[in-house]
Amino acid sequence: MGVAGSYPLLFAIWLVPLAGAIVNWAFGPQLKRAAGIVGCVAIGLPFVATLAAWGIATQSSGAAVGANQHLLSWMPGFDFGLLLDPLSLIWALIITGVGFLIHVYSVGYMWPDTAIARFFAYMNFFVFAMLTLVLSDNFVGLLVGWGLVGLASYFLIGFWFFKPTAVAAARKAFVINVVGDVAIMFAIFMIFAKVGSTSFVTVFAHVPALGNWLFLVCLFLFIGAAAKSAQIPLHTWLPDAMEGPTPVSALIHAATMVTAGVYLVARCWPLWNASHDAQVLVGTIGGLTALGGALLGVAQWDIKRILAYSTMSQIGYMIMGVGVTAYQAGVAHFFTHAFFKACLFLGAGIVIHELADEQDIRRMGGMRLRAPVAFFAMFAAVLAISGFPGFAGFFSKDAVVFGALEHGFPWLYVLGIVTAGITAYYMFRLFFVTFFGTYRGDLDPAQVGVTNPVEPAAHEPAHGEAHAPAWLMAAPVAILGVFSVIAGYVMIGSNSPWNRLFTQTFPSQNLAVPALSEGWTTAILFIVMAAGIAIAYVRYATPAALADAPARLRAESQRMPAVLVRLFYFDDVIDWLFVRPSQALGRFFGSIFDPDVIDGAVRGVVRVNTELGEVVRGMQTGLLRSYALVIVFGAALFAVYYALQGVAH
Amino acid sequence: MPNFITHQDWLAITPLLIAGGGALIVLLVDLLWPKHSPRAVSLAIGIGVLLAAGAFAATTYGRSYNAFNGGFMLGGFAVVFQEIIVLSAILSLSLFGTFGRDDRMAGITALLLWSTTGAMLMAGAANLMTIFLGLELLSLALYCLCGVADRAASQESALKYLILSSTASGFLLFGMALLFGATGSVTLASLMLPGLAANPLYWMGGGFFLVGIAFKLSLMPFHVWSPDVYEGAPLPVTAFMSVVTKAGTLAVFARFAYALPAGGKLLLPFFVIAGVSMIGGNLAMLAQTDLKRLLAYSGVAQAGYMVAALAGASALGMRYAIYYLAAYMFMNLGAFAIVAVLSGEREEGAQIAAFRGLGQRRPWLAAAMSFFLLALAGFPPTAGFLGKILILAATVNAGYAWLAALLIAGTAISLYAYFKVLRLMYDPHDQPAPGPRTSAPLAYAGAALCAAFVIIMTFYPLTPSNVLPLVK
Repeated sequence: MGVAGSYPLLFAIWLVPLAGAIVNWAFGPQLKRAAGIVGCVAIGLPFVATLAAWGIATQSSGAAVGANQHLLSWMPGFDFGLLLDPLSLIWALIITGVGFLIHVYSVGYMWPDTAIARFFAYMNFFVFAMLTLVLSDNFVGLLVGWGLVGLASYFLIGFWFFKPTAVAAARKAFVINVVGDVAIMFAIFMIFAKVGSTSFVTVFAHVPALGNWLFLVCLFLFIGAAAKSAQIPLHTWLPDAMEGPTPVSALIHAATMVTAGVYLVARCWPLWNASHDAQVLVGTIGGLTALGGALLGVAQWDIKRILAYSTMSQIGYMIMGVGVTAYQAGVAHFFTHAFFKACLFLGAGIVIHELADEQDIRRMGGMRLRAPVAFFAMFAAVLAISGFPGFAGFFSKDAVVFGALEHGFPWLYVLGIVTAGITAYYMFRLFFVTFFGTYRGDLDPAQVGVTNPVEPAAHEPAHGEAHAPAWLMAAPVAILGVFSVIAGYVMIGSNSPWNRLFTQTFPSQNLAVPALSEGWTTAILFIVMAAGIAIAYVRYATPAALADAPARLRAESQRMPAVLVRLFYFDDVIDWLFVRPSQALGRFFGSIFDPDVIDGAVRGVVRVNTELGEVVRGMQTGLLRSYALVIVFGAALFAVYYALQGVAH
Repeated sequence: MPNFITHQDWLAITPLLIAGGGALIVLLVDLLWPKHSPRAVSLAIGIGVLLAAGAFAATTYGRSYNAFNGGFMLGGFAVVFQEIIVLSAILSLSLFGTFGRDDRMAGITALLLWSTTGAMLMAGAANLMTIFLGLELLSLALYCLCGVADRAASQESALKYLILSSTASGFLLFGMALLFGATGSVTLASLMLPGLAANPLYWMGGGFFLVGIAFKLSLMPFHVWSPDVYEGAPLPVTAFMSVVTKAGTLAVFARFAYALPAGGKLLLPFFVIAGVSMIGGNLAMLAQTDLKRLLAYSGVAQAGYMVAALAGASALGMRYAIYYLAAYMFMNLGAFAIVAVLSGEREEGAQIAAFRGLGQRRPWLAAAMSFFLLALAGFPPTAGFLGKILILAATVNAGYAWLAALLIAGTAISLYAYFKVLRLMYDPHDQPAPGPRTSAPLAYAGAALCAAFVIIMTFYPLTPSNVLPLVK
């Protein structure tokens, strides 16, 4: 019973979202807005089942936690099954729980959209794919889920396919993600070649068998993780992915899918434990991404893009955490981040909705009066993401940063602290500019520094219909706001539910006592964060700054360093390194190589084949005596060979 | 030396007795029925008898017993082959829904059962006498079956088959005589005796034995009979012949090959002609206009693939050859079933031209035909694909990389031939050729069963593991 050994509801958790997707896809036209209800129920039921599993799992302290359901066996080494252990349980809980809230919110957000059934079909399909990813007990199943979430993400980024920017963003995300998929495939090839199995249990029991391929396996796995989790240098797709509807950004590109890389590294902890090189690589990339994302977040004006870069930065923290083998801390940051980041996105969605699709924070201002629920919820979330003591992010971010020091990576410790300060600054910048002061949307865009204003409402169809009940969007945001405060409380104390859950998942390590204690770390982090908030306050929220807001924002827009505006030139470098050569190669193959060389060769082969076929057919005269002759001739050849062999021996 | 026949011996050949005796029941019912027994009755008895034989054979799976002083070896290997043979016979019988004269149906069914009996005997045959007995029982019934249609081509094919096959049997018998001279024994186990390699009789005998086997497997250049005979014979008989003859003969070859001490030099020419068949058979497919001839050449190449799996006589190769044989049975008989559905008594459907525009006229049939052709070509996710992968693995592991290379080259060539048919079916520019609409529920069921298994076998690749040893 329970989640030790078997958990019968596991199949329901896995398959009900798929059923929802199929129903919504097949009966979309008949369901109309009921599609939303189907979509929510299809996520709500698995959530209840997962919650029950969480309840059972956190009660059984010290007992073996984990359910493994066998699905089918293919060839030797390919056994497929579902696995619900603490790690996948946490992910499943977030995917279904936060996913459910976002589904409810979507009913309101997508209310006027005519393609609402298609939307919920994709969303349910995404949840199914994500559950496949985290519930698989083997690498192949994980890769299948990995590919399917990429596909679902592609569908949902490009959901408004009449927007060329959305289609381009979807394509970019898909291409970069496929790079990661292929890398993971290579890793699986290597693992199978050395270990002869793809199931987690077997592979992790035979880590030494990987020999000197261990680092390569980790490297390829991490390329996949980096592509999915938007780590430098494969991060450029994530900000563009904000072209999708806001609930999509919240669910896929903030709370769940982009954290798959964290899951992968945490899942493969025996590999990372065995390879110090891999720890250095992943920890460094994670730390750099945390800092880089935060720096880029400072230079953005689009509310969703700021959140996108902050997502990238926070995932950098998680990757850093699991990379330096502070697995529990990395996973904890995933857990809390899911709540406050989903809250931020959904709150931003309310603001965007309120302003008829305006996303530039320079043209906002004073929103605390027009969107009070979003204001309070986002205030909690901003405090959480900044790591304010008592809020959810405080517990996990603290653990990650201290974990870096504890595991012997002092430079990552410094990176983490610096990033924390910048994070507090740009998140409060967003918060102050959006919610305080007076509304600037009716000013001339140029007056606040907006040089190329997007005409709102030009891209979303059929708006202006009857609006959905306001609570549909407000309630999920409020709930997430509450969790942004309390989600960290499950981690307090050594006998917390969180510790009980993970006590047997990750290995306990004997670590040297670091130079600075955890208390000092907390203090340093608090000071740095307070400094960040103070700078943001002075720049954007003092009475003088608020009075002079348009001019100050205009000046900031004009003086923004080019290196940040051009996003560290990553897109340009990728363009020069990959896109242009590929296009040139494509032109070469399309206009020269293919028609002349390949097609020529194919035509040649066909001609030769047909002629040879005629020759063979020519033997087929239909005459019995000629057939007999062929047989005797063949037999004679045989006889010569065997006579020679007989003589030779 | 115990010379009497025991209860165990009888038990070992019970499936054969059921099949052979069942033929007599079919004839008896025909005799007692006023006028002639209806087609359905003969087919029902035939299929029932085969099911019984197959079921009984299945109960002996896992047992190992040397019946008739080592002449008939009962074991996992024999049972698996017998099941494949019985299943092919059932599927072939199911194609008889529209072919052949009603008054000949009882005779046809009986002949087919006897032929099946012969093949089942070959599956377990472990000495030269039983091999020859099984082979001739299989062939004699087949000669008659080839000629049962009222067409000149049918009778011509029967005569050609009889004469050419007799030639091959002559070689086989001569080879057996020489082997007997070399070893002083008829059992295959005696091939394992040391010092045989010094005896020229062993080499010549083995060579001629293999000529006879190559003829039955229709490996190049001993394949010359197969396109003509396939084309002339009634379609269900062709279907039967294409799988059952290969299955029985492959069993004999496997037992022979796995009995040899180091295999190597004696079998080398055989693997060479297997390689030649992969290339030549697929090349010849390109020039065909008749689907039965096309499938005959396809069979030449496919036999080459199966033999290639046995190169090196590895345990894994044996399992993969059996897997491919089973896959080939379903893919090939599935394709035949579609042709049968499209054909009337004159077998117009066997002309490749008759498939023109089938995609518009009969989309489901066209889809099924495409599926079987793609499977034969080795496309994923079908059993044909997995089978080829497994054979490649086996040949490379056994050190016969050149056979693997030929297999890949042959597959590449075959794609073009199979796609020619596909293209014809889906060519939108072509006016659909009018075709007969026959109602053949049994053939439909057979095709559906084959399609299901071609898919299922991909995901549940059952390769029987307890098939060795083949000789004791």
